[in-house]
Amino acid sequence: MRIGVFVCHCGSNIEGTVDTATVAKASLDFPEVVYATDTMYACSEPGQDGIIQAIKDKNLTGVVVASCTPRMHEPTFRRAVERAGLNRFMFEMANIREHVSWIGRDREANTNKSVDLVRIAVEKLRRDAPLIPSKFSVNKRVMVIGGGVAGIQAALDCADGGLEVVLVERESSIGGKMAKLDKTFPTVDCSSCILGPKMVDVAQHPNITLHAYSEVDSIGGYVGNFQVQVKKRATYVDWELCTGCGACMEKCPSKKNPDAFNEKIGPCTSINIPFPQAIPKKAVIDPTTCRQFVKGKCGVCAKVCPTGAIKYDMTDEIVTEDVGAIVAATGYDLFDISKVTEYGGGRYPDVITGLQYERLLSASGPTGGHIKRPSDGKEPKNIVFIQCVGSRDKSLDRPYCSGFCCMYTAKQTILTKDHIPDSQSYVFYMDIRSPGKMYDEFTRRAMEEYGARYIRGRVAMVYPKGDKMIVRGADTLAGTQVEIEADLVVLAAGAEAAKGAPQLAEKLRISYDKYGFFMESHPKLKPVETNTAGVYLAGSCQGPKDIPQSVGQGSAAAAKVLALFSKDMLESDPQISRVDIKRCVGCGKCIMTCPFKAIKEVEFRGQKKAEVIETVCQGCGICTSTCPQGAIQLSHFTDNQILAEVNALCQS
Amino acid sequence: MSRLDALKTRIKEALPGLECVIGWQKGYDALHNTPLFIRGEADVDKLEWGALNVHNPAVYLPSFAGKKVGVVVKGCDSRSVVELLQEKLIDRDNVVIFSAGCDGVVDIAKVRAKLAAAGLSAGNAEKVTVDGKTVTVTAAGKAVSMPLAEVAADKCLRCQFPNAVLADAFVGDPAPQVQAAPAADADLAALDAMSVPERMAFWRYHMDRCIRCYACRNACPMCVCRDHCIAQSREPHWLSQEDSVTEKLMFQVVHAMHLAGRCTECGECQRACPMDIPVLALKKHLNRTIHDLFNYQAGVDVAAIPPLLQFKLEEDNIKERSW
Repeated sequence: MRIGVFVCHCGSNIEGTVDTATVAKASLDFPEVVYATDTMYACSEPGQDGIIQAIKDKNLTGVVVASCTPRMHEPTFRRAVERAGLNRFMFEMANIREHVSWIGRDREANTNKSVDLVRIAVEKLRRDAPLIPSKFSVNKRVMVIGGGVAGIQAALDCADGGLEVVLVERESSIGGKMAKLDKTFPTVDCSSCILGPKMVDVAQHPNITLHAYSEVDSIGGYVGNFQVQVKKRATYVDWELCTGCGACMEKCPSKKNPDAFNEKIGPCTSINIPFPQAIPKKAVIDPTTCRQFVKGKCGVCAKVCPTGAIKYDMTDEIVTEDVGAIVAATGYDLFDISKVTEYGGGRYPDVITGLQYERLLSASGPTGGHIKRPSDGKEPKNIVFIQCVGSRDKSLDRPYCSGFCCMYTAKQTILTKDHIPDSQSYVFYMDIRSPGKMYDEFTRRAMEEYGARYIRGRVAMVYPKGDKMIVRGADTLAGTQVEIEADLVVLAAGAEAAKGAPQLAEKLRISYDKYGFFMESHPKLKPVETNTAGVYLAGSCQGPKDIPQSVGQGSAAAAKVLALFSKDMLESDPQISRVDIKRCVGCGKCIMTCPFKAIKEVEFRGQKKAEVIETVCQGCGICTSTCPQGAIQLSHFTDNQILAEVNALCQS
Repeated sequence: MSRLDALKTRIKEALPGLECVIGWQKGYDALHNTPLFIRGEADVDKLEWGALNVHNPAVYLPSFAGKKVGVVVKGCDSRSVVELLQEKLIDRDNVVIFSAGCDGVVDIAKVRAKLAAAGLSAGNAEKVTVDGKTVTVTAAGKAVSMPLAEVAADKCLRCQFPNAVLADAFVGDPAPQVQAAPAADADLAALDAMSVPERMAFWRYHMDRCIRCYACRNACPMCVCRDHCIAQSREPHWLSQEDSVTEKLMFQVVHAMHLAGRCTECGECQRACPMDIPVLALKKHLNRTIHDLFNYQAGVDVAAIPPLLQFKLEEDNIKERSW
């Protein structure tokens, strides 16, 4: 083997604390290294050309680049060595930036460590073998999980791009959180007026199949060929027959159930269509409150339904959808305000969340668009808004900013003044975060034109006094205590990961952070990709986002899917496990431990052997550490390669 | 009818349907019983049962894969059979398990020491009788009696399974439980008491004697790789053939890791070791860890899946996630 070593300066990122020329010189002493040099930016065009030229001039058969993390540029350099005629797996990377120069200041120690890392990479490269990816066909259907505005946008853009789309929504209607909003900032246009047409487009688009009231049960397969089991939960109403006329809701005798769509500040019937613009506009029976289910007799809805759609004996149904890509757009849920006990959320009816306030403002809400406080239905005059409840609060394990609360609170003060001209809004805030287009102007308008009184400070406690809520807090700008007699307290509850998000992430085999938000592939350069090929993200499932950002991500994810599907065949990653049939004793331990069911038992000349299913194997390596005789090896990460790396480090 | 006679009767009944029945017979001297492979009715009378049946016959079962065989087991041996069944290395339909209550087996090294104390050599042993709780060895014409409890194998003193955990033909009365709960393991306690450098020195001292004969591996009923053992492979090349303590200890560590959560602590590795290296302690240590972590004991439940032979997103006792 003829190995070339290229040690990157990365400008001053590496050269600042690593003597790259010395690293290159030391590399020449390693076995089979015939050429070594330092280079300013290995990833730049001249840098890559230098590598290609050296491969040709020096007849190199393998290349080590000592630079940054392979997460970033391994594909770049693999393509470069391939352009020079080598197999792309005859390449190794030594990470001397994240692992060396960025974490230590001692130039001599850093240089020594870099030499060690290059030695390790050389020893691994010496045991690399050319690997040839195999090709497989792509099923050009896409599944979008979550029918909020991000998922709707992704579904519509994919469908308009000519793809078949399967949209899975957990609730009985798409629309998500946006459907619950009254107006949207910064233009104060009606939320359902701008979302409604998109929802109708979803219903009418010939390329979109909608599974509402459904959940993803399990996901198998891989990019291009996923098999998703979708559990269609029993609605007890045959949606083929249901016309959405609402006769059942009028007659249903069980009328006092907390309405989830109205954030539980209004009642609903046990058989229910959540809101007038619902898509699909179909009724669902809640068996936990329906008299037919609870008491075993009622049957009123079945009697009044003009099409005979009621089916009390309906059961959950599993349908399998074969798709080539998946967009996760599962959104967020609100922080549970009852956890902040000093504010009394959950204890006092007149302490509500911002989203509950939206429902009070909305014409389709429980009060018909008149602001009436939940306790006694009176119109509130003094309304206190408290920001950052469950955001930017380490003590609640919610250190992050939910992003959109400053803006919707400003919007709500404006709407409050519109609804009740003689009202006064107070906003307790930490900072006002309004960096979007027209956003800061909007918050100023709330203060200057609508007279909202902004008080910079935290609220210490909220407690009832007569029919008022006393809000006691600090005004840190005035340096005084303030006490406000409020008729209604609205808490800007922070966003948190949707319930069940981590579980879904594991089904999708994508990472999630400690709060349950899904991890993007790169925080700046791959914001809608995940580290699992064929799985993309849109909207708040990746972190709190407002509507424009969510819509943008929906379109971005759709563009990624369309780009993926522009090819008829995809290449499988050849870095997978392979069984040495001579060494395999057929004990089946690898089959038992494989998380992907990627290993099967086969008969070979009357003996049991293990066999890896190439396209299913993810290259995780659990089987290789399970196999006692080392008969199953992960290509490009064989035991011998890892042992050589350890030896290079320990025996040097 | 004695346990032995009852076993013989049951084996004779079953023998026509079996390739062979594995048990014990009188060995090359009075102190040693050796494995017996009963292939015809004439062999049945060679069968022995008692305190000299130290071998674990389960070790031979995987090599009979695909054939229907019988095996005579002590309580401890039955756990190895169960573990092999759990791992689907043998087929339940292809194995008939014969057993009887076990009162413990001798540790030949302890017997040898007792004889030496009486000025006798074990090599001269002419006759051994085990009467209830007493072992009497006659050597060079002189009889030496010793309590079984003093010469029993260490595992017998802590035995939790004097009766087979799984048997098709269990004869006679069950043997009484040695004690309600296992006593603290003296070997592990001694190692626990050492500092890390002391422990390393302990192992270097003992492993220095190792002659790499692999008797420990070959006697192990759970070592099923046989000709493909990683200790003798260059692809992958985990161990070299170099005669160093590091390589020798590395093999023991590999062996112990491969047995984590699988080892039934039959002690055959240590008994087979010609250099008296206390290799079982490594396995016992890992088993203790597995037990603490997974609340699992190898070879007691045919239906149980060994914890390291399965993939679980969340283990009951390893909380990696908050939901």
